[in-house]
Amino acid sequence: MKVEPSSVIVIVNSLLVAIGLIVGGAWLAHGGLSVSEPTRRQNAGEAILQFFVGKAGDMAHGEQRDRIMRLVAPFLAVLFLFIMTSNLLGMVPLPIINRPPTSHFSVTLGLALFAVGGTLVISGAIKGAGKTFLHLFWPNPLQWVSEITDVMSLSLRLFGNIAGEYMTVALVVLVVPIGIPLILHALGLIPAFVQALVFTLLTASFLANAIVHEEKSEPSEKAAKQRHKAAAPRVTAEGRS
Amino acid sequence: MNEVWLALIAVLPIAVGAVFASVAMRYVSTSAIDGMTRQPEIAPQLFTAMLIGMALIEALCIYTLVVTLVISQKM
Repeated sequence: MKVEPSSVIVIVNSLLVAIGLIVGGAWLAHGGLSVSEPTRRQNAGEAILQFFVGKAGDMAHGEQRDRIMRLVAPFLAVLFLFIMTSNLLGMVPLPIINRPPTSHFSVTLGLALFAVGGTLVISGAIKGAGKTFLHLFWPNPLQWVSEITDVMSLSLRLFGNIAGEYMTVALVVLVVPIGIPLILHALGLIPAFVQALVFTLLTASFLANAIVHEEKSEPSEKAAKQRHKAAAPRVTAEGRS
Repeated sequence: MNEVWLALIAVLPIAVGAVFASVAMRYVSTSAIDGMTRQPEIAPQLFTAMLIGMALIEALCIYTLVVTLVISQKM
């Protein structure tokens, strides 16, 4: 069996990203945490954490709010941080680790399978396995097809964006090696962030669909009132600050 | 001569797809910016919704890119 060098590079690079994230997260969270006098490091870590907890809090309401947030926030954080770090790897000016892992279709397919499978697992943990299984076939018996198309669309979108940008830069470098690639890299910062955000937001909306499904059975006015109550204190707190 | 025609046919999907995707994105971004200027306080929510809408449009364009890549690798 022949192993292509590009797949080895991609595997090594995704391992590098994972190791970097684990080491970075451990560095942000290790020892010396305090409530009264947070250090700079702790503030940085909390700011990153707050972003994902806020995203998870937007979709969770009702009795199990805390539990949903505790399950969903790390899931979204892992996806977002891994994808964004992988995308940014293309800007590192070193020859071999210059190739972003997300420009390889296997990596994005794996990420999309992880996202959709994780959606099913989390909704199973919250609603119970029976209801999650039923959700695949009810009310529409072909509901499970949408899970497959979700995997396809998530993986193809990420792959197309990052691989397209990588190929463009690689072709331009062949023609003009100095100057112009810098501009392309600067423009590439935008999709690197936006694609990670889009992947995470779409996963969050799939999750919200899977979890909140049963709330539709209760009268909609009551649900809207509850949502309004839950949202009201947050708005005033933001207004004061 | 035949190869030139084949190459043109291979890049046709991405050309047409990009044109229509950009037209659709124009509608999304103009209406999002309209909403943001009218009500700046809900700009973050509108921005999120705009990103999701753009991502869904862009996915169609990316499918044509994949088709183009598949055709051009078969040539």
